[in-house]
Amino acid sequence: MAANNYRHALFCAIVTLIISFPILGFNLEAKGINITLTGATTSTIIAVILAAVAVFVFQAFRDSFMVMLGKLPNLNPLAGKEPMEQSKRVKLESWVLTGIVVFALFWPFLVSRGSVDLATLVLIYIMLALGLNVVVGLAGLLDLGYVAFYAVGAYTFALLSQYIGISFWMALPIGALLAGLTGMILGFPVLRLRGDYLAIVTLGFGEIIRILLNNWTTLTGGPNGIGGIPEPTLFGMEFGRRIKEEGNTSFHETFGIAYSGEHKVIFLYLIALVLAVITALIIRRFMRMPVGRAWEALREDEIAARSLGLSRTAVKLSAFTIGAFFAGFAGTVFASKQGFISPESFVFLESAIILAIVVLGGMGSQLGVILAAIAVTILPELAREFSEYRMLIFGAAMVLMMVWRPQGLLPMRRIHITLNKQG
Amino acid sequence: MTTSLKKLVTAVSASVALMGAGHAAAEIQIGIAGPMTGPVAQYGDMQFSGARMAIEQINAAGGVMGEQLVAVEYDDVCDPKQAVTVANRLVNDGVQYVIGHLCSSSTQPASDIYEDEGILMVTPASTSPEITERGYELVFRTIGLDSMQGPVAGNYIASQNPERVAIVHDKQQYGEGIATAVRDTLKDKGIEIAMFEGITAGDKDFSSLVTKLKQADVDYVYYGGYHPELGLILRQARQADLDAKFMGPEGVGNKDINTIAGEAAEGLFVTLPPSFDTKAENQELVKAFEAKGEDPSGPFVLTSYAAVQLVADGIEAANSKDPFDVAEALRSGSFETPIGTVQYDKAGDMKSFEFVVYEWHSDGSKTPVN
Amino acid sequence: MQDLLYFSQQLINGLTIGSAYALIAIGYTMVYGIIGMINFAHGEIYMIGAYTALIAITGLTALGLAWLPLILIVALLCAMIVSSSMGWAVERVAYRPVRGRHRLIPLISAIGMSIFLQNYVHLAQGSRNVGFPALIEGGFNFSADGAFEMSLSYMQITIFVTTLICMTALSLFISRSRTGRACRAVSQDLGMASLLGIDTNRIISATFIIGAALAAVAGLLLGMYYGSVDPLFGFIAGLKAFTAAVLGGIGSIPGAMLGGLILGVSESMTSGYLSGEYKDVVSFGLLILILLFKPTGLLGKPEVEKI
Repeated sequence: MAANNYRHALFCAIVTLIISFPILGFNLEAKGINITLTGATTSTIIAVILAAVAVFVFQAFRDSFMVMLGKLPNLNPLAGKEPMEQSKRVKLESWVLTGIVVFALFWPFLVSRGSVDLATLVLIYIMLALGLNVVVGLAGLLDLGYVAFYAVGAYTFALLSQYIGISFWMALPIGALLAGLTGMILGFPVLRLRGDYLAIVTLGFGEIIRILLNNWTTLTGGPNGIGGIPEPTLFGMEFGRRIKEEGNTSFHETFGIAYSGEHKVIFLYLIALVLAVITALIIRRFMRMPVGRAWEALREDEIAARSLGLSRTAVKLSAFTIGAFFAGFAGTVFASKQGFISPESFVFLESAIILAIVVLGGMGSQLGVILAAIAVTILPELAREFSEYRMLIFGAAMVLMMVWRPQGLLPMRRIHITLNKQG
Repeated sequence: MTTSLKKLVTAVSASVALMGAGHAAAEIQIGIAGPMTGPVAQYGDMQFSGARMAIEQINAAGGVMGEQLVAVEYDDVCDPKQAVTVANRLVNDGVQYVIGHLCSSSTQPASDIYEDEGILMVTPASTSPEITERGYELVFRTIGLDSMQGPVAGNYIASQNPERVAIVHDKQQYGEGIATAVRDTLKDKGIEIAMFEGITAGDKDFSSLVTKLKQADVDYVYYGGYHPELGLILRQARQADLDAKFMGPEGVGNKDINTIAGEAAEGLFVTLPPSFDTKAENQELVKAFEAKGEDPSGPFVLTSYAAVQLVADGIEAANSKDPFDVAEALRSGSFETPIGTVQYDKAGDMKSFEFVVYEWHSDGSKTPVN
Repeated sequence: MQDLLYFSQQLINGLTIGSAYALIAIGYTMVYGIIGMINFAHGEIYMIGAYTALIAITGLTALGLAWLPLILIVALLCAMIVSSSMGWAVERVAYRPVRGRHRLIPLISAIGMSIFLQNYVHLAQGSRNVGFPALIEGGFNFSADGAFEMSLSYMQITIFVTTLICMTALSLFISRSRTGRACRAVSQDLGMASLLGIDTNRIISATFIIGAALAAVAGLLLGMYYGSVDPLFGFIAGLKAFTAAVLGGIGSIPGAMLGGLILGVSESMTSGYLSGEYKDVVSFGLLILILLFKPTGLLGKPEVEKI
């Protein structure tokens, strides 16, 4: 047994060397017109060797490590406790959510402009994740092309404002409805596919939308994107330094205060906050309606659900359309916040990040998804100083979370009613 | 490792500067925004090395109005989306002057934000005419326009009396813009354009495109875009025995095209800003670059140097740090820089700038044509 | 005649790319066939293979080695060893601990791994396009009186021949060897195979190793054919190869071959007769159409819905 362990450990250490040494140890560099190979610094080589040694030690004494880990006091303080009573839990969750919203209302006036800007982005991701949560978490449909609907919303606003000049408030419902409609049209033929095939088709669809946006240069500007997208107005008051639209007044002149870019940022943040709350409330409502129950029923056991007379297509289509609708919502806000959009904002990675938020939050749970959206968006920003390692850490964290806590931060617990015991 | 350390140091010094801004602002922050990573980071290197050198030398000479310049660097990966993010961060960091961006498609959306937030921008490399066409007050550049560069390239091709010309571009603002300018010039001269087609930046397989070019039987191919794609096109064209001359704008004139295209880069024609580094009056500066182990011959090194210098001179001339005053001073004055005497028109373009046609060689050198 | 030559040239271009896609697609299809997961990190393994090959070629040339076949073979071996080790390690670290969980979990883990590997190479080697030396140049030219010359380069021939050798070796391995038989057994029924004494963990590892080795071959070939590598080029190629695997019927090895060729040809025909901008739209559109009308792909086994 022991010898076997050492052999395995040695093998693992050698593999570590093989996969890290060639890539890390040699650098391909362009010197003039030639590509040359330079050896890496000694510190890199020492690091590679240390890594191999670490792997060896860990693998060789793996069993004893595992025993030691088992002996450690459980890190999760809630692990030993009974799950909270259902009614209490629901109440607590609503209190926490209300608390967050109230706090979020006053918070922007206390912090710097950069933080508010970031918070707006967090809210956009919350909307996206809540929408995808309906599709993936509740209805169990694997959608890898969710970003396509986000793009539809964003481009609807950008194009309409560019060609017709409509305002944010007009574009918001139009963008969301168009995205929902796209979801319905796409969903109709593909929803009979199951599981991974659905994932692949949605992935392909997401890519097609992006490529079309990238190539239809006469309409969408191609890779250059569309700029000059207007910010939302408050009863016809604009927040820019200068007024862009005829007939509008400017916010700082109306109130006779000095111009500050902060007004605009805070206003956008508040709009995003209100929209995110609306999204959460609507979806919460849906979850408790028959259609919400039908989504979960279909996710848990498709055949049983169909046997009970649920229309598979109608139920799936409703989830898909509602998910797409909120993506369009978020897209419009995003376009307005950035003032500029290009196909680069709607790549597959974006779909993957939103999906990661949903899974990390504990599929189906709203509070979990909100917390996960905050964590996934803010943590990389905090690591700005290590910006080079940001995505590396992000990828590794995705893997580690799946390995250690696949159920997510706050896994969803079914709302259920215990029948009174008949005396 | 060293670059990340350097970044950390700049970031720390930037935050220190921000903290200091409250009581005694003894420093002027100069944002430098351009690609540090990504496919065209080579050009970013030129931009950063030129701008850093200028800041260093200005500081050594006593700074601007007695204050030191501090560089704050941002990476936009030559991607419009990142450029907007960078622009917002610049605003949040309280920077008032920006040297950048590099790619026209990044400069365009970022300048919307700068103009709105009152930040002065000088781009050392973006040639798209649209950038200065919108009547912005705070947008300047230290390079010419595609509307100057396009005719230079078009006239050169026309002077070679080709029968059929193909024009390919990467659909980005810069590539398509310059390609359109070349096409219009050629059309005016009555030369047949056999093909005008876009490719996708980042693509690797151009064998079908090359076959198409062969089928169209063209003698000249003009490519609007950057070197990673043109390098591959040149190489795949050689592999398929396509017998045509290639030409491109300054976005392809860089030694990296040789590492990709190898022998196939021989005889490529490129329009570039004139080699400022060979001018007699710049020799001292060239030595300073060489002492640091940097190459001053890239097309954007000295334009970036000049951009920083113009900001500094503008502040001195306006005797104010308000970007609007500085812009006014830049428009009304005349400044001596390594790229010559700079005078601005109302739009923020230089009153004169010329492009020169070079022939590129497989050893990475270039010789002026005619 | 002219048009025919043009058509054949585009066909050759398409088949070249297609056979390389097929080599990458094998990795997707075998893994899916056995454990039913989409290995999103496979494109990155291919990219790492290309980088390793380039490092080996540059190193050997710098050492003064001049005999081309030796350089290529050593580079190929290096690439295969590094990629296979990477494939093995990825499976051990990211997929084995989550095997058998809800199907979203391995998928997210794989996407995370793909992001990780992309950035790993990005950090180690920089984000620039690095030129790949043109080692195999020249070719045959065919011309009929007209101006258009069809050319078949030695590089293209190399790609065809190598793919053919790899595919033959793989089929022999799967049909004849002990491990190959075990592979087939595991893909039929994982639980049953383990009951019969097959070490399923070993077989799954073997699948990843084989897939990664073939991806490394494709990495060297395509790197040389295209002319440059960058850390992002694995992702798109991976997506295409994955499409090829699904087209042909995921889980089926001949299907992957067929899917790769169809995809390659449809791409080059789209670029040749329509516009290169829309080639990806056509390939993904083709994928969606096939899935809608024949959800298990061209050569896939029909799936029976159990009630």
